[in-house]
Amino acid sequence: MFLRIALAAFVIAAAHATPAPRATLAAASGARPAAPAGNAAPAGSVRTAPTGGAAACGSPYLVDQALPNGARWRMCWEMRTIEGLTLNHVVYTPRGGAPQNVLRSAALAQIHVPYDSGEPRYHDLGSLGESAIALTAADCPGGERRGTYVCVTTRARGHAHLKDGFGDEEARRSRQGEELVVLSGYQVGWYAYVAEWVFGDDGSITPRLGATGSLAGTVTTPGHGWPIGVGRRHFEESHSHNVFWRLDFDVDAATRDAVEQYDFAGTGTKRRFMVRTRFATETRAVNRRMRWWRVLDPRALNADRHPISWEIDNSDSAEYRGPADEAFTRADLYVTQYHACERLATQNPLPRCRNSVDRYVSGERLTDPVVWVNVDFHHVARDEDADPMPVHWQGFRVLPRDVTAKNPSP
Amino acid sequence: MRGVMMLAVSAGAVATITAAVLLLPGDGGPPSARAELPAAVSPAPGDPLTPDEIRRAGDIATDAGPRAHFAAGRAELLYVERDDGKSDEGARRAEAYVYDYGTDTLTVRTVDLARGKVVREVSGTGTQPPPSKREETRAAELILAHPRLGEGMRAAYQRAAGKPLRSTADLWLRGLIYTAPRGDCAEHRCVRLFVRLPDGTFLDTSRVVADLSAKKVHILEW
Repeated sequence: MFLRIALAAFVIAAAHATPAPRATLAAASGARPAAPAGNAAPAGSVRTAPTGGAAACGSPYLVDQALPNGARWRMCWEMRTIEGLTLNHVVYTPRGGAPQNVLRSAALAQIHVPYDSGEPRYHDLGSLGESAIALTAADCPGGERRGTYVCVTTRARGHAHLKDGFGDEEARRSRQGEELVVLSGYQVGWYAYVAEWVFGDDGSITPRLGATGSLAGTVTTPGHGWPIGVGRRHFEESHSHNVFWRLDFDVDAATRDAVEQYDFAGTGTKRRFMVRTRFATETRAVNRRMRWWRVLDPRALNADRHPISWEIDNSDSAEYRGPADEAFTRADLYVTQYHACERLATQNPLPRCRNSVDRYVSGERLTDPVVWVNVDFHHVARDEDADPMPVHWQGFRVLPRDVTAKNPSP
Repeated sequence: MRGVMMLAVSAGAVATITAAVLLLPGDGGPPSARAELPAAVSPAPGDPLTPDEIRRAGDIATDAGPRAHFAAGRAELLYVERDDGKSDEGARRAEAYVYDYGTDTLTVRTVDLARGKVVREVSGTGTQPPPSKREETRAAELILAHPRLGEGMRAAYQRAAGKPLRSTADLWLRGLIYTAPRGDCAEHRCVRLFVRLPDGTFLDTSRVVADLSAKKVHILEW
C-alpha cells in the first residue's frame, strides 16, 4: 500500500521558470569614489594602532569599497562547498576614522523548511557551493561579477539624513545613502534563494535571504494550505523558512568580546527602565519587544570613551517553534564560545562535534563569542506566487553603536 | 512520529550500478569548492583553495586512509573545504571529508598543504555532511534501480522529454541529507533528492529516501 502511495506521489510539480532579472539600479552606476583621504576630519575613534591590517586575500576575492559619504567596507569572500558564500575579515572604516574589525566570518548556517502538515521537513544546506547559480550581468546591475557566482555592487538606499534648514538653504542637510551588496544565488530544488549581505554607508550590516523560483506544488488539505489553482482544488501547502546565520564577531580582536542583552522594563506604565544583561556564559535568547543585543570589546573605546559595539536587531521573525527533537527552533539568537568545528545550526558537518546550535550552548564561559541569528518566515502561498514566484525576504540588522563618537557622514 | 518502510531492492542490480558510478579520487577529482581563479600562482592566506590545492589535498587525504576501502568503493572522498579555523590563520590547510559506508564513519582529515601531510584526523559516526555530487548521482541510480520507482521515474521522463531516459546525466539533481531519530537513517547516509525534468517540472520525491549505506530506497510514511 505504501508503495502505491509513493508511486502516486510522483506528481509533476508546477512548471519551473527562470526568475526575471532584477531591475537595473541607476544609482549604482558610474565611477566609484576614491578612498577617504587620510587627513579627513576625524570621526571620533581614538585608536592609535588601527585594527584591520593587511588584507588576508587577493583578487578577485577581496572586496574593498569606498562609498560616496566616505565610509569604506573591506572583506574577503569565499564560495565554500557547504556554506556557500562566506565573508571573512569584514572591516568597516568610518569616514575619517580608523579601520574597525567587525566580523571574522559570516555565512548562512541553515535553512530549515518544515511544512505545515508536519512533513516533509527539509534542511536546505545542501552543498550550497555546488548549488550556486551562475549569475548574468542582469543579476548584478551596476556592479561587478566576481567569477561566476558572486556579485559585488552598490545601490541607493534612500535618505541617509534629512534636516530642514527652516528657510536657510545653507543650513539644510539632506543626503542620499548608498550601500554595498555582496550576493549569490542558490538553486535548492524548486526554490531559488538569493543571499544578500548588505553593507550600508551608515555602518549597518543587513544579512537577508530571498526565496524565489517556484512553489513546491505540494497539494494539501484546506487546513494546511491556500487555494492557488482555479477554484478550491489545489491547496498549496504552507511552510516555514527558518533561516540561521552564523556571525563570528571579532570586535577589535578575537578575544575579550562580550555580548549584552538590553530590555526596557515597564509594561502598562509611563516610565521604562533599561535592563542590561551581560552574558558571561553561552546563552540562548528569544525575541522580545524592544529587546536587542550588542557585541562589544569593553576595552576598545571611541573618542567619547564609549565601548565600540555592534547592535543586533531581530524583530522581524515569525518565531517558529518546533517539536522537542527540533530544539534548535526554540530560540531566536544563540551566543556560543568559538569552536572551529561548530559551523552549521543543524546537521553540523564535522565529526566529534555537537550536532546543532541549541547543543552548542553548554555553559562555557564567553571570551570569543559567535552569534547565531534565527529569522523565520511563514510562507502561505497566494495566487501571485505563480511562476516565477516573487521573492520574499527575511533578515535582520546589525548596527554600529558607538563605533564613532558622532555621525561620521558629511 | 514518522514511520519508515524499507523496500529491499534487487541487490545485484544496485551493486552493478554503484560500481559504475564510484570513482576513485584522482579519476577526475572530487567535487570541490568553486574556485574562481585559474590555478593561482601563489594564493594569499585567506584565498579559497586553488584547484591544484584541492587536488593535492584530496590525494594526500586518501593516501592516508585505508586504500583497500577506497578501492572497494566502501570509502569515498566527498569534497575538500578550506580550513579557515582561527588557530593558525596564515597556514594553507584543507579539510578532506571522507565517508566510509561500511562503518558509517565520517573522517575529516586536515591537510597542511605546505608540508604535504595530514596534520589532524577526526572520525565519528552520526555526522552527515551534505551530499556530494557523486552521491546525488548514486541516489538517483538507486531510485532508478528500484523496480517500481524506477519505472515511474522513466515514465515521467518520457512524458516530459518525449524520449527515453538514458542515464541520470539526463536529470538535474540536488540532494539533501535526511536523518531520522530512529531506524536506518539514524546511522546511515540517507539522501533526499530533488529531480528536475527537461520540461522544467519536478518529480515529487518528498517521500523517497536513498540509503547510500544500505544501497536501498526507503519510502517515508506520514
